[in-house]
Amino acid sequence: MVRRLPGTSSADLKAGRLFRQDRLILLNTIRATFAGWHDRIIAAFMLVAAFAAVHAWFVDHPWMIAAWTALAAGVVIGSGAERLVRTRLAFHAFDGLLATDALHPQTRRRYMTAWHSVGIALLAVTTLIVRPSLLVVSVPGYLAGVMIAGLTSGVRMPKRIAGTARPGWTLRAWSHRPIAGVAAATILLLLLLPARTLGTNALMAVVGIATVLLALTLTSVDDAVVRFMAIAGHRSQRIFVHHGKGIATFLAVSVPGCWIILGAVAAGIAASACLAMLLLLTLRVLAYRLHTKRFADLLVSIFAGLLMLVAYSMPVALPVLAIAMLWRLQRRGQAKTWLLA
Amino acid sequence: MAAGMNLAIELTGVTVERSGQRVVQDVDLIVAPGSWFGLIGANGSGKTSLLRALAGRLPFAGGSCRIEGEELVGDRAARALRFGFSPPADKLPDALRGRDVLELVGGSIDDVRPRLGTLHQALGLAPLLDRWIGDCSAGMRQRIAIAAAFAGGHSLVILDEPFNWLDPVAIFDLREVLRDIVDDGLTLITALHDLGTLASACDAGLMLADGKVALALDEDALRIAAENPQVFERQTIDRLRSGSFGEI
Repeated sequence: MVRRLPGTSSADLKAGRLFRQDRLILLNTIRATFAGWHDRIIAAFMLVAAFAAVHAWFVDHPWMIAAWTALAAGVVIGSGAERLVRTRLAFHAFDGLLATDALHPQTRRRYMTAWHSVGIALLAVTTLIVRPSLLVVSVPGYLAGVMIAGLTSGVRMPKRIAGTARPGWTLRAWSHRPIAGVAAATILLLLLLPARTLGTNALMAVVGIATVLLALTLTSVDDAVVRFMAIAGHRSQRIFVHHGKGIATFLAVSVPGCWIILGAVAAGIAASACLAMLLLLTLRVLAYRLHTKRFADLLVSIFAGLLMLVAYSMPVALPVLAIAMLWRLQRRGQAKTWLLA
Repeated sequence: MAAGMNLAIELTGVTVERSGQRVVQDVDLIVAPGSWFGLIGANGSGKTSLLRALAGRLPFAGGSCRIEGEELVGDRAARALRFGFSPPADKLPDALRGRDVLELVGGSIDDVRPRLGTLHQALGLAPLLDRWIGDCSAGMRQRIAIAAAFAGGHSLVILDEPFNWLDPVAIFDLREVLRDIVDDGLTLITALHDLGTLASACDAGLMLADGKVALALDEDALRIAAENPQVFERQTIDRLRSGSFGEI
């Protein structure tokens, strides 16, 4: 006799427990993140500002350029959404509470359809606000992205977990050492020596781009490391120091070096780029203490967008806003209880 | 095991691969209905991979897997449906409450409570139901994860190292209650790390080493082991160190 287990009836399958679980997690996370009225005001302001900026860009450009951009954005968003949904399903099937549903073809399809419906609805609303006539390209672009990601999902490089050298992990660990910062600064200065023949504007652009690229390699953050250090009782400052030694020595060597080779303006650009990367590193460390990687990355992206917007429109307010963000994240991190047993 | 007896689980020559590597090789295993089967072995010996494959969380790469007489080696979804399984405690979502977890797995909490029975009290679930998982300690998360395995009312349950993170009182209470539930007809398979629990609480067991069966322990062997657990522990460790595999 086949016994009917809870959660496996046709009613349960229709209800979509998988989707219900993820929707609940998402709503609870959003509620917790924007618990205070000031958080909500900041979020609303950022949303309005982002919509205004995107709307202005799309309206200012000819329809054909706007349409190609919307199509490309739709493809990228659709493809990203499909990959996200598939990754999430793989988690559910391996580590989740509802593996039964994640392995069942019918409930898998329902789960994917539900999340893509949400994605299409959000994209459609955004398109209507930005430039309604682009709806004919953005939504088909999303669907094309979903299809492309779905068709290529089976193509993966073979990956071996145990017994391999893990060069990526080794490099990441090395990039946090002070010597890595010195090495990166040396590379930057050697690159800038032949670039001195360029015109002033081009030279400053090279300084900025090269500094950002090298600083990015020194400021990688592993969310699992941050969480482990937090659980082990390390404070945010200690975690930041662990990750920031490479960029600190890079700043200490590259800025004076740029000053000597190219002058004060180049040194200022290098210093600004380094400080921006340090700020990004700090935001990520603090966010990883509080949230899952995916949500923390989203939050940091929103914060970074807001900072860029303020830097462009109201530079005087930039330090105040940056300090407010860091203070807020740090305070919430302190309130979080970390217990081992 | 008497010939022709109905078996809850029968694995024959199963292999499990993870990321292209064979982590479980040619394992034979039988579990009688209404018994507690203990799986022991060193870290990385393949216990978790075998249990995950049995519960449909990983595919079998080969062999035969019969559950309650039905061949399910190629059907992960059907295997997942048959077993109550405790998810890793650290993977429970921070943004859910204990109540949400149990209700997602087993429906209304009023339906879940009778399924848990005395386990509800042994795990001290009452104060955890309205607590955010993100605010729970590792031991609290472990209690909720164990309860989730029973919330669906399955007659076959797999627990991967259920006594990790628990305090001594909780370990004692949980072991007693699990034994009672097994005596009432549950088929329980657990990965364990201590030979004492294997000797005193389990009906049969298996030791894995490097993904292979290192030692098979039947009911008689465990009965003798329970009479003198210290000698059993010493003999088992000596056997493992010397690499002489087989049956005690």
